[in-house]
This record gives sequence, structure tokens and C-alpha cells, in this order.
Amino acid sequence: MSKPQTDEPEPEIEDTESEDHPYEWPEAADNRKSISERFSITESAEKDDARRIVTGEAKYTGDYAKHFPNLLHAKILRSEIAHGYVTDIDTSAAEEMDGVHAIITPESETVPDKRYTSAGQSYMEPSPYDMQVLREKVRYVGDPIAAVAAVDERTAIEAVRKISVEYEELEPVLDPEEAKDPSAPQIHDPAEVENKLPGNDYERNIESHASGEIGDVERAYEKAREREDWTVVTSEWTMPYQSHLVPEPHTTISRRDEKDRLHVITSTQVPYHTRRQVAQLFDIPIRDVRVSKPRIGAGFGAKQSMLVEPIAVALSEAAERPVQVTTTRREQFFAGRFRRPMQIEMKGVVTDDGEFKALDMNALSNSGAYGPHGMTVTGCAGTKPLPLYPGTPNMRFEFEAVHTNLPVAGAMRGYGAPQGHLAVEGHVDEMAAAIDMDPIELRRKNMVQEGDLDVASGITSDGEGHVRRIRSCGLEEAIERGKEAIGWGEIEQPEADHLHRDIGIALAAQGSGVAGDELGAAHIKMNEDGSFILQTGAVDTGPGADTAMSQITSEVLEVPPEDVVVQPSDTDISPFDYGAYASSTTYVTGHAVKKAAADTAEAIRGVASNMLDAPAARLELSNGTVVDPDSGDSVTFEEVGYESIYGDDSREQIMGQASHSTDQSPPPYGAQFADVTVNEKTGEFTVNKLVFAVDCGTAINPSLAEGQVEGAMHMSYEYAVRGSMQFTEDGRPKTTNFRQYGMPTTADQPPLESILVETHEPTGPFGAKSVAEIPTNVVPPAMSNAIYGAVGARIRDLPITAEKIAAEIDN
Amino acid sequence: MQYTLQINDEAVTVRADGEEPLLDVLRENGYTGPKRGCRSGSCGFCTILIDGEPEKACLRPVESVEESEIETIGALGTQEELHPVQEAFVDNSALQCGFCIPGMIMRTTGLLKENPNPDRPEIREALSDNLCRCTGYEKIIDAVEDAAERMPVEATDGGISESEAEVESL
Repeated sequence: MSKPQTDEPEPEIEDTESEDHPYEWPEAADNRKSISERFSITESAEKDDARRIVTGEAKYTGDYAKHFPNLLHAKILRSEIAHGYVTDIDTSAAEEMDGVHAIITPESETVPDKRYTSAGQSYMEPSPYDMQVLREKVRYVGDPIAAVAAVDERTAIEAVRKISVEYEELEPVLDPEEAKDPSAPQIHDPAEVENKLPGNDYERNIESHASGEIGDVERAYEKAREREDWTVVTSEWTMPYQSHLVPEPHTTISRRDEKDRLHVITSTQVPYHTRRQVAQLFDIPIRDVRVSKPRIGAGFGAKQSMLVEPIAVALSEAAERPVQVTTTRREQFFAGRFRRPMQIEMKGVVTDDGEFKALDMNALSNSGAYGPHGMTVTGCAGTKPLPLYPGTPNMRFEFEAVHTNLPVAGAMRGYGAPQGHLAVEGHVDEMAAAIDMDPIELRRKNMVQEGDLDVASGITSDGEGHVRRIRSCGLEEAIERGKEAIGWGEIEQPEADHLHRDIGIALAAQGSGVAGDELGAAHIKMNEDGSFILQTGAVDTGPGADTAMSQITSEVLEVPPEDVVVQPSDTDISPFDYGAYASSTTYVTGHAVKKAAADTAEAIRGVASNMLDAPAARLELSNGTVVDPDSGDSVTFEEVGYESIYGDDSREQIMGQASHSTDQSPPPYGAQFADVTVNEKTGEFTVNKLVFAVDCGTAINPSLAEGQVEGAMHMSYEYAVRGSMQFTEDGRPKTTNFRQYGMPTTADQPPLESILVETHEPTGPFGAKSVAEIPTNVVPPAMSNAIYGAVGARIRDLPITAEKIAAEIDN
Repeated sequence: MQYTLQINDEAVTVRADGEEPLLDVLRENGYTGPKRGCRSGSCGFCTILIDGEPEKACLRPVESVEESEIETIGALGTQEELHPVQEAFVDNSALQCGFCIPGMIMRTTGLLKENPNPDRPEIREALSDNLCRCTGYEKIIDAVEDAAERMPVEATDGGISESEAEVESL
């Protein structure tokens, strides 16, 4: 760390853990390849499903409806009040309708009354079991009460209208601060919640609470009072709900197959977790449940939640016919899952030389009515951005997740990091302004470098938890290339005096999978013609995971990616996988694929060894052939494939398999730049350009990686300036379609530029880290910082609007 | 009611209520290329061509299109032989989850019929009724620019096509 010396040196974080966290990582010999040695990786191979998509032939869950001629369609009856009890449900009029095959209520035989969580995490979930499939106590407008399966959608909608519900209303509470007041209405009865989280206090609507400290923050404040060259800076940040706006609404088809096993075809990011959750909830042996994931119309975390699967299963079991549940777009806006609102207080100490002495963070998050991901997302608000500055000697992070009678927060791309980054990266800019230092210079003095030991990612356990050695960090290059692309220091001021233009910067970090809580597996078999079938549980939600997996296989086996047929995730066919979340697929499952391909290569060499009469260890795989370098003899993969299966002497199917799990989760890094022009009279602003330069290690497929960056920047821009769902005073949703929400279109999305900075992460497959989430983190702080630079108005609550800027200028 | 519709150059007889949205009728009859994202005309995932004009199938009652030529994504190329617009989307990686893409491609096809050489602001304006949540639109706009270049230029009266001009200049 190149830190300026002070006369009273602070105790540096002691790096006594070199043995536990060595910088040198024993990677496989083939893991680090120079550009000329690469066969398939870092090429922009055509996306595996691209042709199916552009011809409209890619099949999503709803497109399977025609496969089941006696399929029924469902509609869900949801609570119209934010808080209360359902005292009576009268379904008699609906039952009499022609074409209605099943109506379920909380009392129905096929509706389990167990408590569960919809989180879709690994077992046991770090989320409270606080919900039931259908609910008698309702906790937000949207809670499912009953459902109907009928011959067509129209009949199902009509039948739901004919169900009458009586409620006993309770007072709702919508604000998390108010919800903590002991006199506030209590949303959950702790006796009815299982698997409760640390720090819960349901009498005050607190789902979880945790804190941790590294060093001694209070002592830093004391010192700052004595020293004129130490400045204390405070700030407070507010973030609203954000919707994933998934293109394909949540869709599930539930049926019994010809063996009477339960078959669930569903738009999920987590087929295996869904299988386990359904089996546990309905008391069906895991072996009798099959979950298939077709193409899915994006997830972004929304489809990690098990939202409609249990209702589809309960209905199909009741009707004894296949049932399809498709949520409406309206339901997506209040009965789905969301990025959670947060309020974050920041306090920091910085010296005149620009050395961080303390970073202190306190987050309050609004979980809404139920608790999936409440503790983990809120925790990530601190543990994702604080590791940008791991040399800060004193750090503290405290958080609470609190229930209100508003929609249910869950997992969303970034997972708490976007909220945390606005607070940290906004605050760092405020510290720069307080000591009159260039914001990039201040960051450079304190930011993470290769070789650092990061204890901040384990701060909630006082740094004793997840500690990691940083073995790759391209932050410096990301800053330099981002500056060049955005024109840092070169922008021209608009001619009109009332218009001011500036560029803001914000840095970002994320992880690559959940450290110590991931499993990916892969299986590869060789066909006679020398091609391969690759089975992984990797769940391609759209970004192109299947393509990346085929490229990794192709790199090891030296065959073109199109010779690797990737099977979509299906729990009957694919090996186990935790699913597509936490930026884990390339890093974790990709590593399993790489190892399985190496295993396959061994088997190929074994068969070829007999054919070439040469020791297996000597043989090399090269461009679809096996070569004996000593004799120059070779056999093609096709010859090996036929010989392995139809050979005269010995026969074996060539197969390879592997699992991968790790306690590593190396952070990708990024630098966001926003070029903004602000009208000082009205506060109106124009975003001229957004640039994000990312270090994702080795980009297995650069075009697909750029797609991740651009799409995530769009989402982050939307969080900065649009979004935010509005509610009435009694908790009813006011935002129920795309246009009200204000999703950016081609006409108003600013130009985006993505830059890939290659580094080598020795723990990742061919040096790869993750890229999917990190670019969702930092458009809001980069824009807020740019606006401050342009007109001196600091916007600390999202969305950023002209009114807020104008009000701030007037102050 | 029974209706005979002209879908992708074929006469197709369907059973439907006259007010039923064309989107639902298409999907029930196996034309699953157009996707249902909102059913209220705000996402554009079900964009098709009706008499050559891009329209949202969820907003058109089936009885209103009986006399019309309907083109879904199925009217364009096949996986082996892509239409130039489809090719441009593939080659520019202008797709991720793909749910918006059939609609986006039909919108583009309609645009290029009307304006064979749109500039970027014109593309941004023309595509603004079609949402995409995955790509940030950048690669889609690239693909539309590229598609314009790939489209065969039709000879106009008294003029020569670009490819003929190329041959002549040799």
C-alpha cells in the first residue's frame, strides 16, 4: 500500500494470515494461456441459442402449453388490503361455473400449511421460514389467498372475480423507521416463524440485525477531535424499491408425467433449489420431482424466488390435470420480488493527505412483508463496497432489515451492492470535496491493489469471517481506460452560461459466487463422431452461460465450440448446480466444466494410446485430433469416438465428470464514469455518456461480457433516474406498468460504452472472474458525483430528479 | 366464430371470439414467436407486421385483421438461412434472453422497409416502442445499422441497385 506517512502511524491491519491466504495459488499448468496459445476462449463465439432466438423458435415455458392438450390455466386471487386477516372466503359462485376445475384456498387438501421461504438459496436457507403457499393473515397488497384452474384464462379470471373475501383489517405500517417503534402494528408472530435469523425482534418488526468492526472507529473519531488535519465527514443516503422488469413474466407448468412423477417446467434460475423446496413443501420424495428449465426470459434475481411454482403444483394436484400459472404484468409490479429500499448513514475520517482513517456505515433496509434474502442482501450493502478500501484501519458496519406492509424484497442483480455503493462512493466523493482533493487521486491513495488482504468482506464477523487475498486487480487500468473513453479533463463547457457539464466517477467491486457456499458440477460424454454432449446444471438465464461453458470445454479439448452440445438445465439430466445467482456460473460451474473436460481428455488419450501404440502421457490433443509428437502419427476424434464404442479389443464410453466448490470469491472490479450536463436554472440534466471499464479476469466470451456490462449499466441508470414504485397511504401499488415505471427506451437511454480490462485470476477457470452483477452498482454515485461537480448540488436520495437538483441549488 | 387469416403467406382457419387479441389467437395456433409481455401494448414483445406495418398483436382484435396480411417472425428466415436482419442480430450479439427479440426484429424489418438507411437517432426513435431489459440497447442499435447495410437494395425506376453498381465499377 502506498500510503502517505503520518507522524503517528496507525496500526496497520496485520497481515498474519499469509499462510492461510497465500498470494501464490497452485493453478493447473494450462490455466494461464497467452493470447497465441488460446484455442477458443476470449473469442466472441456465436451465442449457442442465437439462431433459435432470432427465428422465434427458442421455447420458453409458456411456449410448451401446446404440448399438453388438457392443460388448465390459472389465476391467483390476491389480497386487496395491506394488513389484516381473511375471515371468510366464499367460492361457491366460482365453483358453479362451467370450465372451472379446481379452486384452492388455505384450507384445501393439496395446499400445504407449512412455513417456508421463497428465497431459492442453498439449504438451510439464511432466510426466515415466514410464509405459506396461501395466506389467512395477509401482510401486503398482493398476498396470495386463493387460486383457480380453468379451461382457459378468461374463465379463470371470471371465476376469481366471483370469489368473495371478507377481511378483518389491521393498521398497516409502511415506513421502516416507524415499523421499529414498539407501538407499531406487529406484522409477524415470532411463534409462527421458523429458521429465524440472528438479531431478530419481531415485536419491533426486525427481521435481522448484525454489526461488526475492524479496528476501533470511536478511537478514530476521538483522535479526529484532537487533530486539525483529520476531517470527519458524514452523509446519509436513501434508495427506493427497484423492479427487475423481467421480460418474461414468471411462468410455471405443473403436471404428473406418465410415471406419476411431478414434473415442473418453470422459468427459474434455480432448478435444483426449486426441486428441493417443492419436495419439502409438498412432502414428495425428491426422486419423484423433476424440474426443467427451458429458455427463460431473463431473471436478474427475480426468478431465484420460488414465486408461483407452489401454487401451480397445488392446483395441478387438486385438478389432476396439468396447470399453467403465468403472472400478469400488473402482478409483476407488486406481487413479485424487488430490490429493497435502504437508508444508509455514512461517517468517515480522512486526513489532509487523503488517507482514510475510518469508514463507518449503518444501513436500515425495508424487507417488505416477508424476509427472503433480508439479512444477506442488507449485509452485502457493506461487504461488497467496503473491500474497495481494505487498507482503512478502522471500519464498522451495522445493519437492520425491517418488515413493513409493502411488497416483498428479494434478490436482485447486485444484491445490496448498488445501495451500498451509492453510499460509499458518494461518501468518498464528499470526503474528497471536504479536503479539496481530486476524487480520483483520493481513491487511488486508498483503493485495493493486487496482493492486499481483504478483511472488509468479513466485517460483520469483526473481520474473522470471510477473509480473502486479492490475487487479481485491474482497477488502475480500468480507471485509466475509462478516463480516456469518457474524455476526462477534456470536456468542453456548453456555450450557454446556465448549462454546466462535468464527469463523475465511482468504483465498484462484487464477488464471484458465494464464498464457501457453492457447488457446480459437469458431465461430458463423447459421441462416435467426435463431438461431445455437455451436461451442467449451469442455468443460462440469457447472458450466454451455455456458450461460455461450451467454449471452456472447447478450449480444453481443442474442438470447435459447435462440436460441444450443451444440454439445458433439467434436474433429471444435469448434474447438480446451485443455480444462476451471486455471479457464480462462470467462476464456479465453469471450473467444474474445465475439470470435467480435462477428465474427458484423459479418457480420450487412453483410447488413442491403444490406437497409436504410444503412452497416453505423451499424446497431445490438437484441433480435433490426438497426436503422438514423437512419431508424428495421429488419429481424429471421430476415429477415437468410433473405436471407443465399436472397437474390437476393448470398448468404453469416453466420459468425464467433475464437481467444483471453493471458499474463494475473488472480486471483479470496475470504474464507472458519467458525463452529465445540468441546467442550473431548472435542475434538468442530460446524461451525455456512460462508460464502465471492468476487470472480470479473463473474459471467456468478450461480446457476451460486454452485453452484461451494457445491460447492467442500463439497469443502474434506470435506478439512478427512474424507477421507484409509488404506493398509496394504505399500501396500494400505484405503479403497475412499464410506462408508469419509466423504463428507459432506445429513445432516452444514454449511450453506453463497455471496456473489458483483462487480468488473470489464478483461482478462476482460465483466469476468469464474474461480470454479471458488478456493472449494476455504480451509475447512481457516478451521476450524483458528476452533478455535484457541475453545479455543486449533492443528491443523496434516488431517483435523481430535476426538482431535487433545483431545490439543492436553491439551498 | 371461425376466421380465415393470412399468416405468413398461408390461409389459416382459426376459432376465436372476434374481440380476442390477435396475439392470443396466434399463440394458441402454434405461432409462438410473438411473446406476451404485458398484453397492454407497452412492451412490444408481440410486434408483428400487419400489411407491412409493425403493430402490437396484443392490441388488435382478431376480427380486425381478417382482410390483412399478417407476418410473424416465422415469415423471415430459418436457422440455416437467416434473413439479413436476423443475421445482423446474431452477428452483433444483439440478444440475451431473447424474449423481446422476435418483436424487435419485426420492428426493424418494418423500419427498414420505410427507411432503408436510418441513422442512429432515427433508429432510436423507431425502436422506442419496443423494450429490452437485457442489452442496454447498444448492440441492438448496432445490429439495426448493420442490417440496413446487409439488406439487398431494390432497384428503383431508372436506377441501378448497389450490387449492380459494384459489378459495373469492377
